[in-house]
Amino acid sequence: MSATATLGNAGAMAGSAAGDYALEVRGLSKSFGGLEVIGDLSFAAPRGKATALIGPNGAGKTTVFNLVSGVYTPTAGTVLVNGRDITGVPSRRRIHAGVARSFQNIRLMQHLTVIENLLIGQHVRAQGLGALFSPFRLMPKHRWWKEAQQALDECGLGAYAQQTVGALAYGIRKRIDLVRATLASPSLLLLDEPAAGLNPTETQDLLAHLRLLASRGTSLLVVEHDMPFVGEICEHVVVLNFGRKIAEGTLDEVRQVPQVREAYLGSEEE
Amino acid sequence: MIWQQLINGLMLGGIYVLIAVSFTLAIGILNFLNFSLPGLFMLGGVLTWALLGAGWHWSLAMLAALLAAAAVSLLVEQLSYKPMRNADPELPLVSSLGFLVLMENLVIVKWGSDQQSFPALIPDFNLRFGGLIIGTAQLISFLIAVGVVLWLSWFLKTTNTGRRLRAIAENRDTAEILGINLARLVPCVFVFSAVFTALGGILFALNYLQVSPFMGENIGFKGVAAMIVGGMGSIWGAIVGGLLIGLVEVLSIYFFGADVVNILVYGFLLLVLIVRPAGLLGRPISREKL
Amino acid sequence: MSGYQTGVLVFLAFNVIAAYSVYLPMAAGQLNLGIAGFMAIGAYTSAYLSNELGWSMLASVPAGALASCLLATVVAVPVLRTHGIYLALATFALGQIIAAVFLNLEVVGAAAGYPVSEYVSPMVVVACAAGVVLLMVFLSRTRYGLYLTAIKNDATVTDLMGVNVRGMQISAFAIGAMVAGFGGALYGHHYSFIEAQHFNVLLSVFTVLYVLLGGTQTVLGPLVGAVFFTLLPEALRASDQWRYVIFAALIILMMLLRPQGLLTASLLRSLGGRKQGVQQ
Repeated sequence: MSATATLGNAGAMAGSAAGDYALEVRGLSKSFGGLEVIGDLSFAAPRGKATALIGPNGAGKTTVFNLVSGVYTPTAGTVLVNGRDITGVPSRRRIHAGVARSFQNIRLMQHLTVIENLLIGQHVRAQGLGALFSPFRLMPKHRWWKEAQQALDECGLGAYAQQTVGALAYGIRKRIDLVRATLASPSLLLLDEPAAGLNPTETQDLLAHLRLLASRGTSLLVVEHDMPFVGEICEHVVVLNFGRKIAEGTLDEVRQVPQVREAYLGSEEE
Repeated sequence: MIWQQLINGLMLGGIYVLIAVSFTLAIGILNFLNFSLPGLFMLGGVLTWALLGAGWHWSLAMLAALLAAAAVSLLVEQLSYKPMRNADPELPLVSSLGFLVLMENLVIVKWGSDQQSFPALIPDFNLRFGGLIIGTAQLISFLIAVGVVLWLSWFLKTTNTGRRLRAIAENRDTAEILGINLARLVPCVFVFSAVFTALGGILFALNYLQVSPFMGENIGFKGVAAMIVGGMGSIWGAIVGGLLIGLVEVLSIYFFGADVVNILVYGFLLLVLIVRPAGLLGRPISREKL
Repeated sequence: MSGYQTGVLVFLAFNVIAAYSVYLPMAAGQLNLGIAGFMAIGAYTSAYLSNELGWSMLASVPAGALASCLLATVVAVPVLRTHGIYLALATFALGQIIAAVFLNLEVVGAAAGYPVSEYVSPMVVVACAAGVVLLMVFLSRTRYGLYLTAIKNDATVTDLMGVNVRGMQISAFAIGAMVAGFGGALYGHHYSFIEAQHFNVLLSVFTVLYVLLGGTQTVLGPLVGAVFFTLLPEALRASDQWRYVIFAALIILMMLLRPQGLLTASLLRSLGGRKQGVQQ
């Protein structure tokens, strides 16, 4: 096996129609002041499924998220979402291409209420000057309120709608961050450590939430350290180390790769 | 003649250097844009004038003015900086502006809002080099300003306290973990910056033979411009920026008249902020990490 | 109403208009320390149009507001490239430049000041201030107001939600300037005289203080701040200068004891919640 062993069907990927993948990155590189954080990274996330991006701390996982969501501009390489090249698309237009993300450290607006946070997440579906300047907050029955409330209700979080985000428990905030990210009906959702800091019950709730999303056809790219969690939900796994891909395949497959055991799984299992 | 104007510009610039250094200390080490400093500049000049008027010896009058400025500065630390250092950055800024308004109006209550004439302490004796004239007061002020700033630069580089201060400037949290006692060093910064800017106020009074409650607004604010132009947080930047603003001011008076000074000085500041916000010698601003 | 009371009310109305011109960009996280400059643009433009071109106030006052808005839009593009403290300083520099320009503009009287021929009555000024408050309350009930708050909280996330952060910031800055220009135009026409020295740094600073002291979390904060800090020094009318001393001391004290301002979102919510409870 070569040093950058690739399991699964990487060869088949290249030949297939571009639209088969929710996300495809090709030869992606990112350097900060001469220091290479991501180097020649290529992988693909199948559509309608959950793909995990794993690797030790500092492997560059969050940087990949920042490159895909457009917060950083890559030094080289291309990013395709549903077969469309979005490399040059500015970050704020990427949600229109179907990309949404959550953050490792939850980034909700602390002073606002839960439902106000969700209203911001609805932006993509409320375009135009009419929508921008409609005084809908004076109309409690406006459809935007109803839609946001409904999204909360579906996840069993309806009771928190009017509470200030800053006052809520960590697990709840994490779920609300997720709900907000899904309001734009993204085709590709990037989740940065969704299970970190959750207790077992909350993790089960999260899994149910993610399965609901998957059942609606949303493709997920998940950065996660919790391997049982990854095993539960992700059918496809990409392993990074020092900004490069060292393996790709199912969780069981990548577990067998010596470099992976060395870099990451080994230290946890032994 | 242009060379004479360049000399005058540099001499005035020396005073701006002192104010800019004060601002740069506060912002570089504490990340605090301390708008009480123009007030302390005014306080230095006005208190010296008042004490001279009360018959004090000039040395005692200046010393007392510097001490008073330092005392007020410690009050600013306790009431504006310390309670709000982790809040939104505009809060300590605004609170320090409150001190500026307070000082100005206390001075107005006590001595009125008129401009007062400051006695000529240094005999009006001019040195001549070729065709150039340098007033003694000008030269002495300039030498004091440059000397004090060079001493500060040496102090920050070589002494223990200086190294600790630079460690705080580098990274506050790391400095705290390394066991640097912030509670003892932060007041030092406030005293330093107060003494420097008040000294600037005294030197300004010595040179231009006038003080007024509004001299902080008119002159002190240009020190902010000098700091930004040179580069926030850099001592050498403050020196370059101060001298440059002095030159811009004097040359714009020479070429266009006194009226356009503010347009040119603040226009220059705005240009630097837009084109090169880090200033001439400052480090580029790092981007937020997600 | 006595002449004194009317005077205070008009002064209050001008402070309220000014406070909202600072509030709007500040709601999006931008500290505008040069608002006096934009007031000056509105005041001088409308005064010139009224005096020299014989425009009616109905046209010259809005034209003053528009001129201020246009200038703000033009300068916003480069100035808003800077952030945080740099932005505050850039606006500060801008305010100084504008005041200095008018101080030297012979066509509008330069340092001698500029008399304004037309007169706006106190009640019109007060009604205009009320209109500004209503406009701001309206904006706060829209997505526009919500996005401004979102940008202040976390510009990166708001951008990723698809909101045009830069466009929002420029428009908030420009609308704020328009309100300032409107206030300035009314100011000139009410007092029948303007001078560049009036539009100085301290005017900008005081205006910012009204807003911060009232609180930026809710749309009514600036109103509360302007009312409280206009009327309180009036009530403490010992002598003119002592009033400013007391005012300054209050600023320091307020920032120390209640940095979030008099009126906060949670305070408003708890008041509103109680009201709803009564209704149910």
